[in-house]
Amino acid sequence: MTEIQSPLGGTHRRPDAMAKATGQTRYVGDLALPGMLHAAIAVSDRASARVLDLDVASARRMPGVEAVVTAEDIPGENQVGVIFPDQPLLVTDRVRMVGDRLALVAARTPEEAWDAARAISPAYEDQLGVFDPEKALDEASPTLHGNDNLLHTFQVLRGQTDPDHLDAEVIVKAHYEIGGQDHAYLEPQACLAVPEGDRITISASCQCPFYIQQAVARVLAIPLASVRVEQAPTGGAFGGKEDYPSEPAACAAVLAWRTKRPVRLLYSREFDLQVTTKRHAMVVHHRWGADKDGRLVFAEVEAVLDCGAYAGLSTVVAERANVSAIGPYAVPNVMVRTRIAFTNNLFGGAYRGFGAPQVSFAAEATMDTLAHRLGMDPLEFRRINLVTPSDPLTCTDQPLEAPQMARACLDRAVKDSEEHQTAMRAPDSWRRGRGIGLVLYGINLHRGGQFLDRSSAVVILQPDASVIVRVGLTEMGQGNLTAVQTVTATALGIQPEKVQVWQPDTTTVADSGPTVASRGSHSSGRAVLDAIERLRRRLDPIAAELLSCRPEDVELAESCARVSGGGPSVPLIDVTREMAARRIETISTGWYRPEPREFDEATGMGEPYASYAMACHVVDVAVDPDLGLVRVEHVAAAHDVGRVLHHTAAEGQVEGGVVQAMGWALTEELKLDQGRLLNPSFTDYLIPTSDDAPPVTVALLEDAPGHGPFGSKGLGEPAFIPTAAAIRNAVCAALDVEINRLPLTPPVIVKALAKNHRFKDLIE
Amino acid sequence: MPETIVIHLTINGTERSFRTPAGRRLLDLIRDDAGLTGTKEGCGAGECGACTVLLDGRPVPSCLVLAASCEGHKITTVEGLVKGGSPHAVQEAMVETGGVQCGFCTPGVIMTSVALLRDSIDDREEQARRLAGNLCRCTGYKKIFQALEVAGNTDD
Repeated sequence: MTEIQSPLGGTHRRPDAMAKATGQTRYVGDLALPGMLHAAIAVSDRASARVLDLDVASARRMPGVEAVVTAEDIPGENQVGVIFPDQPLLVTDRVRMVGDRLALVAARTPEEAWDAARAISPAYEDQLGVFDPEKALDEASPTLHGNDNLLHTFQVLRGQTDPDHLDAEVIVKAHYEIGGQDHAYLEPQACLAVPEGDRITISASCQCPFYIQQAVARVLAIPLASVRVEQAPTGGAFGGKEDYPSEPAACAAVLAWRTKRPVRLLYSREFDLQVTTKRHAMVVHHRWGADKDGRLVFAEVEAVLDCGAYAGLSTVVAERANVSAIGPYAVPNVMVRTRIAFTNNLFGGAYRGFGAPQVSFAAEATMDTLAHRLGMDPLEFRRINLVTPSDPLTCTDQPLEAPQMARACLDRAVKDSEEHQTAMRAPDSWRRGRGIGLVLYGINLHRGGQFLDRSSAVVILQPDASVIVRVGLTEMGQGNLTAVQTVTATALGIQPEKVQVWQPDTTTVADSGPTVASRGSHSSGRAVLDAIERLRRRLDPIAAELLSCRPEDVELAESCARVSGGGPSVPLIDVTREMAARRIETISTGWYRPEPREFDEATGMGEPYASYAMACHVVDVAVDPDLGLVRVEHVAAAHDVGRVLHHTAAEGQVEGGVVQAMGWALTEELKLDQGRLLNPSFTDYLIPTSDDAPPVTVALLEDAPGHGPFGSKGLGEPAFIPTAAAIRNAVCAALDVEINRLPLTPPVIVKALAKNHRFKDLIE
Repeated sequence: MPETIVIHLTINGTERSFRTPAGRRLLDLIRDDAGLTGTKEGCGAGECGACTVLLDGRPVPSCLVLAASCEGHKITTVEGLVKGGSPHAVQEAMVETGGVQCGFCTPGVIMTSVALLRDSIDDREEQARRLAGNLCRCTGYKKIFQALEVAGNTDD
């Protein structure tokens, strides 16, 4: 008998792929209902002003308009702040950012809705705004909320926290200016609200249906149970559909409630780029010291996040940035201070990496600069400072389970980079450089968010031995349906095709928190395993009867139930038919909840994360020394993944993460003027194309099991985090300069070359 | 009411006629009038390529094409690649290699790829240039290139 291969770590087809490839998948924009109205939002075009008079009467009379809603028409609370109640759904007296909502329109066509929304133009009295996050913290700056612009401060204090009392041979002081980033998911924000008496259904392109459920219940003043949120197939997210979609969903819900008709809201690309959340721009100051042998003595980090006008998720982003600021290095003395500043700039939100990419960029840049000052090779300098089994503590004093994986990832990526053979594509006159980015990633939610860290699953075994699975974590392209399908099929010993994982719906599973922090496959997979364990308490006795064995000797494999140790077997379908015939319950729920952890927010000591993963990217670049153009020639990526659940999906996460981070590093510049985005289009905001994409060599290291199903670890974010630092280090090595900002656009590089540039007279 | 016109064209091998506003985009005619929602709108400005269809065999961003200019022409959408219930070799290859993640760019990527293969473009650099009008934010493009290779071999 041929052994049927376990799907674990396999390359079987994604369950959602063929429908997407043949155009059958219905995204929100492909859903329409009879009588459906189209929504539009009137927004502020200025960043800081008093609203003196908001007249919507003329908009109400425009063609096709069925409703125009202002703050006073909101049935419930006029509030969409996800953590702090500081953000109105519709502003009344003051705008704090470009894109603040003034009024909502529902009309018979999208064109009529947006025409009416654009016609709404209140009388403003402009006020002084603040657009520099560090200046925003000055006492003299105009404030957005309350008495000052400081939202919160986080710290890590370890050992001697005043570097003036420490001896170091070499000290590097560096100042990093790190730009934000737009998610640039290919499907803009979209949702559909369908009212039905005293309840409402929302279909949304989103990561977090339970966030939307809460937001809609709040603005409509109805119970959570009256809000059903179905996650529609979602065309990319990357964090941009975590917190933000609650806002458009609340808009559509209010209009649907008002008109008693289905209302669909689709953003245009320009509107999406202009008003949605962004990766936080950050300013980071470093003072790091090493002794003459090249051992790190201290690391001092001062980081300021540009929060934008509302708190949103900024405290949670800063929390991750704060404890990620040092990387996988053993540093005895650490002082990190992470502050969040309100400004009138774009609204900072969740984005893949969640604050870690910015501070990791700074850390890895400083590591290279220190190595150069010490006259050491950056690779060797990293090696002697890594966390190790004999020195396994993170900067928060948390012992790592597998510190050796830092060295393993570093060595593997360097080896893969050196062995890569493909011909370079850039001209010979360009300069070459290689750079390293090495990071320590805390898997899943920070301790501050652990109250959200639970997950629900429902497994229904069908009479034909196929299986329906429902989980509370979402598929946004990353492959959660595939991961959950694989976990289920592996646990039940059946083929993946027999498992149907349906899109999340808040009426089928309990609140499972957000699909963020690389926790999707981990949290939903563990809940599914729990559901299957409970299901087997009813299945195994039936199988045991058919096999004439004890229930505890039943194992499931190869689509059969069999006596463990190679005994007789019976097809699983015989067992499921028997269960159906006897009317035995074949639906099972599962739950996952990690253990509570201790963390002292004042000192930053403790266990911010349950466990960690390492990742290293080594990048080869070519740089045009005249024009400052950068070509990424190759990326070697080594990841500590614990166990691969699905090989193709895991590789896809890394390949996609690398290229997305390359965009952030090189071309994706959010050009702002007084809080307004000047380049809200893909012509002016440049995300990488197929012509820019480098070859990526992916190594998935399975040496250190994690806490996800079958020992897996989260991968979505570590796939992104190391790349930008590695690119920066490679560019600096190629040109023998130090550039401490992102993105590394041609003007930035040419300016850095300064007196070494061929046309230096023209540049000045 | 805006002025309406009647447009005759062939979509996915079937001759159709539509009474539609004179200024209608081909994308809207395909999605709203013909009901073929496989073609996606990602930007509406010809920048992302999600709405790519074949116009007389040539890939075009349908958001930039006036429907009226297609009078008498042949349009192929992602739905039209499925013949007798069997997906096109490119569709099979995209699924097989993992070139599909969120799926929103996928129909456009597939239409451009079909044209690439038909024109026997097998040079990787040339493929990269021709696909550069189809933005993908998920995959990093590697598995899309692999799909081109697999589909190219299937065709032979």
